Amino acid sequence: MADSTLVTPTGASGGRRGGRAKPVHLRNRPLWMLLPGGILMILVIVVPLVVAVLMSTLDLDQYTLQSWLQAPFIGVQNYIEAVLDSSLLRSIGISVSFAVIAAVVTMPIGVAAALATQNKFRGRALVRSLFLIPYVLPAFVVGTLWRTMLQPGGVVDSTLGSIGIHSGLWLNGPLSYWSLIIVQIWTSWPFFYLLVLAGLQSVDHEVHEAAAIDGATWWIKLRYVILPYLRGPIFLALIIAFLHNINAFTLPFVLFGVPAPQDVDVLPVLTYVTSFQSFRFGLSAAMAICSLILIAIPLFVYLRAVKLDSGDEGEKR
Amino acid sequence: MTTTATPPSTASASRSRSTAATIKRKANGTRQGDITRLLPKPLLVTVITVLLVIVLGPVLYMLFSSVNGDASVAGGAFFPTELHFDNYIKVWSTVDLGNGLMNSVIVCLAVAVVCAFLAVATAYVLVRYEFRGRLTFLRGLLGLQSIPGTLMLLPVFVLFSSAASILGIQIIGTRAAVFITYLTFALPFSTWVMVTYLRGLPKALEEAARIDGASSWRILTRIVVPLSWPGIVVSGIFAFLLGWNDVLFASVLTNPETRTAAVALQVFGATQEGGAIPLYGQMMAASLICAVPVVVLYLVFQRYLIGGLTSGGVK
Repeated sequence: MADSTLVTPTGASGGRRGGRAKPVHLRNRPLWMLLPGGILMILVIVVPLVVAVLMSTLDLDQYTLQSWLQAPFIGVQNYIEAVLDSSLLRSIGISVSFAVIAAVVTMPIGVAAALATQNKFRGRALVRSLFLIPYVLPAFVVGTLWRTMLQPGGVVDSTLGSIGIHSGLWLNGPLSYWSLIIVQIWTSWPFFYLLVLAGLQSVDHEVHEAAAIDGATWWIKLRYVILPYLRGPIFLALIIAFLHNINAFTLPFVLFGVPAPQDVDVLPVLTYVTSFQSFRFGLSAAMAICSLILIAIPLFVYLRAVKLDSGDEGEKR
Repeated sequence: MTTTATPPSTASASRSRSTAATIKRKANGTRQGDITRLLPKPLLVTVITVLLVIVLGPVLYMLFSSVNGDASVAGGAFFPTELHFDNYIKVWSTVDLGNGLMNSVIVCLAVAVVCAFLAVATAYVLVRYEFRGRLTFLRGLLGLQSIPGTLMLLPVFVLFSSAASILGIQIIGTRAAVFITYLTFALPFSTWVMVTYLRGLPKALEEAARIDGASSWRILTRIVVPLSWPGIVVSGIFAFLLGWNDVLFASVLTNPETRTAAVALQVFGATQEGGAIPLYGQMMAASLICAVPVVVLYLVFQRYLIGGLTSGGVK
């Protein structure tokens, strides 16, 4: 203790410039505190990840699952079957297009909402709270609610009918794909709005002043002054929204039930059904690995783009 | 656009989320509301009105339908044509909602408490100490959130059943199964929230304690934890919500006795298809009952939770 008493203040005051090289700074690190959380994450996340890869190479069904380690090894055959003989490719197409469309459409909505609530007005706090509701409602509630609304002859049909639009079935057939997109947009746009709002906070007041002094119209100011500030947050929000959408399981699961109509058979639901309804566990694991590959690129981009360090710790960033 | 049309009340200064710039804004006095205005008023009003209609339509529909007759809901009525407040009484016996809510509350509260404290310890080390692999750890926290749950479900299920047969105890179907699962899947995000919170905490007190000879554990429990209650509460709430909102894991890892409210509602909805008119009124009542705790939590802790939510989106 004696020497740490002497030296730590130095290490700490020099900490701003990265205390990495100082051996004393490296002493007394309570790294054991990382253990409970770290071990848990390794046991319940990393180990299952490895097991998932292993399982995707096994011929697993409800009979071999009990002693899954003894199940016959069949190499990449599950992957071959997934690609050639299952609806995997179609599901990937549905999932990716759904995730992209939903993310892209939430962008203008989120930006508009953020711009509109940026300035103080009477009742703004209430409006901001109300805007959050679709996002904070649990997905299973959103699913149940919209499933009721979209029933044949339900409130959506009767509302559209009163203005002369007679659509087909919302929960089955080709329209179901758009139902899924609409509901996902309804429930996820507030997240985009929050990220853009956070981005707007970083615009200095001087910037507003400068634009006002130059007499910029609102559109010019928005386009050439404000929007450049928002490019980063919007880009990140798009990636996060895509990742959220493509992993969405609960909403399609509750909205359409299982087995899902083929137009909304998104990848997570397909994987789930293959496991727990068809009991093709090996095949399902292979599909799940494919979904991991699918998100790998956007996830990589996201992890590169996001700011990990505040700059106070570690080095530059 | 800087010319008037704005009532003086809108011009008052500070934002709800204050930044360093707030002080400057305050000094700027009355005209700042005009200067920072981004949309012309008619457009602003249009945007807000349209969005409010889109948001509130379905939400009010849920409220109205929960006291409406089933036939009326099936017929596409928005406003209740008859009042059935008894939906809120009947639903408790139609669905095992009471049991589901109790399971959800027990599991999610336990997850929230344990997760928040594991998160604060992990985040403390991540923020205050240098070690090899620190950045990887931080990146992992963000990355792990995006691992699809459907990928984890099967191996977690299988590992639990294998562990059970080795240890000779039942895991699947117990509350412990969902507890461990939710705890782990909540940890990365809760830890990340704590990391961003602890960064804002001054080091001075910890350093003073260190000079006085306090151990790291003492510093954590006596200084860091008491100072970071807001962050701990937020990361606990996120952990709670993760469990509350989950259907995927609970649908496989629980049995009818340990079923969470989410699964109870999902099963209720799924079994209403076919035959007679579904019990729409009770379904909406049950949805509302499941949604209220979450919405209330969010609205009460709104300011803090939003900061946490957007912490993974800062560039």
